[in-house]
Amino acid sequence: MSACVRLKRTLAAMFIAVPLSAQLLTSTERGVVVATANQLRLNNGWSADGVENPTAIASSETQVAVLDALNNEAVIADLGSGRTTRIDTAETPIAAAFVGRELYILARDARVLQHGSTRIPLSADPAFLRTHNRRLYVYSRATGTIEEIEHDRVTRRLTLQPFASDFEISGSTAYLTYPREARIRTADLGTMKSSGELAVGAVPVDLAFAGGGTALTARILAVADPSAKRVWLAEATQSMTEAVARGVLRGFLGLGLFGNRASQFPTGVDRVETRGKHWIAYDSSTGTLYRFTSKSSSVIAKGVAPGAYALTGDGVAWWSGTSVAETRF
Amino acid sequence: MRRLLVSLLLALPLAAQSRLASDFEIAQMEKQLANSRDFESQLSGRLNLGDVRAARNELSLARAEYARAFDLAERERVAARVQSSMTRYANATSYAALAQAKLGRDAKAFTLLEEAARYVSDDAEAWNLYASAMRILRHPRKAISAARNAVAIAARAEDRLDLAVYQHALATALIEAEELQEAETLLVTVTESLRSKGFESLQREVARAESFEIYSSARGDVAAYVSLLNRAQLRLASLYERRGATDHARSEYERVLAGRSDDVVALNALARLARNDAERERYYAEAFEANPFSPALVREYQRQLRDRAPNVDASTTGGAMRKALVQLARGETRAARASLDALLTRFPENETLRMLRREAENTAPIAIPSSTPTAAELRTLLAEFERLTPEQRIALEQATYSSVVQFSGDTFESGAIEGVPFRFSSAVQFQGTFDIARPLRLTYRILGATRSGDRDALLLEPIRLEATP
Repeated sequence: MSACVRLKRTLAAMFIAVPLSAQLLTSTERGVVVATANQLRLNNGWSADGVENPTAIASSETQVAVLDALNNEAVIADLGSGRTTRIDTAETPIAAAFVGRELYILARDARVLQHGSTRIPLSADPAFLRTHNRRLYVYSRATGTIEEIEHDRVTRRLTLQPFASDFEISGSTAYLTYPREARIRTADLGTMKSSGELAVGAVPVDLAFAGGGTALTARILAVADPSAKRVWLAEATQSMTEAVARGVLRGFLGLGLFGNRASQFPTGVDRVETRGKHWIAYDSSTGTLYRFTSKSSSVIAKGVAPGAYALTGDGVAWWSGTSVAETRF
Repeated sequence: MRRLLVSLLLALPLAAQSRLASDFEIAQMEKQLANSRDFESQLSGRLNLGDVRAARNELSLARAEYARAFDLAERERVAARVQSSMTRYANATSYAALAQAKLGRDAKAFTLLEEAARYVSDDAEAWNLYASAMRILRHPRKAISAARNAVAIAARAEDRLDLAVYQHALATALIEAEELQEAETLLVTVTESLRSKGFESLQREVARAESFEIYSSARGDVAAYVSLLNRAQLRLASLYERRGATDHARSEYERVLAGRSDDVVALNALARLARNDAERERYYAEAFEANPFSPALVREYQRQLRDRAPNVDASTTGGAMRKALVQLARGETRAARASLDALLTRFPENETLRMLRREAENTAPIAIPSSTPTAAELRTLLAEFERLTPEQRIALEQATYSSVVQFSGDTFESGAIEGVPFRFSSAVQFQGTFDIARPLRLTYRILGATRSGDRDALLLEPIRLEATP
């Protein structure tokens, strides 16, 4: 068989089906909550009317909220009883976060953070919403602005480079990935100042924290790079500038998960998630979900829709097409 | 991929009214597609074919083309990932989203658009595609937001044509969200910019190449320029028209026709704004020649026909279509069905024709007229004669009716009952002396439906004629 024919067959096999219809999973203290079209349910528990197009989901200890970015709607459910509240949102709710029992919804195309009837204006193209120490942080892609929100108003603002593809917070440091520039940039949220940058792989898209971050150990970053077909594991510190200056940063531990051209999974992963020692990665182009460690990787499931998986306390759950499937690590 | 970006010029209401592509042109496009190999040519070809089919209201064929475009884009996505080409992957993902939007699958389109934005949120074209997909899916506020991103990014670069493309897309989304003032300002900026000296070299190329084709997915600067100017002028004219600035509107529509004399939207609009019936009918005739099956044109013409019934030359496809619409407007549904059936034999997939054919086919049960029938009863009977049951036909032939009639001509052969045409099987001589020019009371049987001149008519058997008091 020629290489060309083999490649074509590989493509055909991969082309099968990444379900694009929306199913979202999130892991809560009560169990896995699944949002499908017009339905929201606790796996093996209550079931309630949901939203037509689940596009984002967020949970707290007591509540879960599912958003419909197309219809500008959200359904909030009490995790214990399954009792729901349906609300209209501003244009294009793409993310939500709870601060205590208070739900905040990021409505991108309205450029606001919505809290009940309060709408907090934001910079252009607000794309990511994170919480830290009961404060909210929004990164707006078009301007590169990080806005800190407390008591329903923007209290501080920092402008970094625009067009990051991910924004995460650990400790008092914000980490942003820049796929075009192959860089990670950091900001110190204590001082609201840029704190460093670092070249990473070829196209770093997504990052998560893979341990470390104690008084004695450096934070470990897991960076998905679909172009290099690798998840890079990197030691970092709370301040990369300091780390580089001290020579502490030991470079990236290139974890060649999918580096072999003859690999069964040649398209790379572009999403990475961690929960304690459990790490998973996901390939959006083929819908393949992987488990990985610092030394190896394995396929968990194929044909999984984006967002239709969640790390649980002891493994991973995903939507199999008709029900929730789970694997314990 | 740069000029494929102009797929965003597309707006469904305009596309649905664009000049009708002939079967020959479609065959040529399919031939070009068969000879092209690269992703961009294949994709733009499929999207264009889909849009052309949609403009002909051949919706199932259009969907088939869009599905092929999606299939192409999906394969390109995977191939790009295999080859570690993430920009290519993001582009293909955006186009997969556009194809899904054209297929009306908004959740799938949204998922793909968000995926593309992760990689290329700094790319004006990606945002423009986002805006286009959201417009197609009738989410104008989302389209506005995406289009603003595109304009903001393009404004930092130096390509004036790209900027004009994105400003036009933003204006289009603003119009759909009813934010008309900002839209008009933007369109004035775009049209003045395109007509300015800044585009002299492109204008010369357009003139040299005699370029006039309007594409929904244009490739190359000349095609993009021509399409953009056409669309921007049309939209600006439409805004002028909406706020009652008729002279400005007419002038802008005429500018469109100066670039392309068979633009259906402009012709339809100029017919709407015509100063007299003759001018109106001339513009409609040209519009129907350009695209006989535009649903928007058909509906507008039908509205115009409520007040008048022009004589139409049915020797062309456009003329035959207008003739059928005139027949429908007159209530001559039987004749209209025959006209539409003749067109359907030539354009069997056309959904505008199918729609009109259904409308000409009244399915409600019909009743035998009363003994002194009203015009409405006779008109219904005339239109629906074939639907009478055998029992009703027997009952009809046995019944006698009485109406005041007005004969036409100088023989007792044909005329009208309150505007409903009738004729006898041949000229008749009645006993007595009657003034044929005056209304007379006729007692008659109804034998069937026939033609009298160029109109449907009842075929009557006369029994008695009397002078009216």
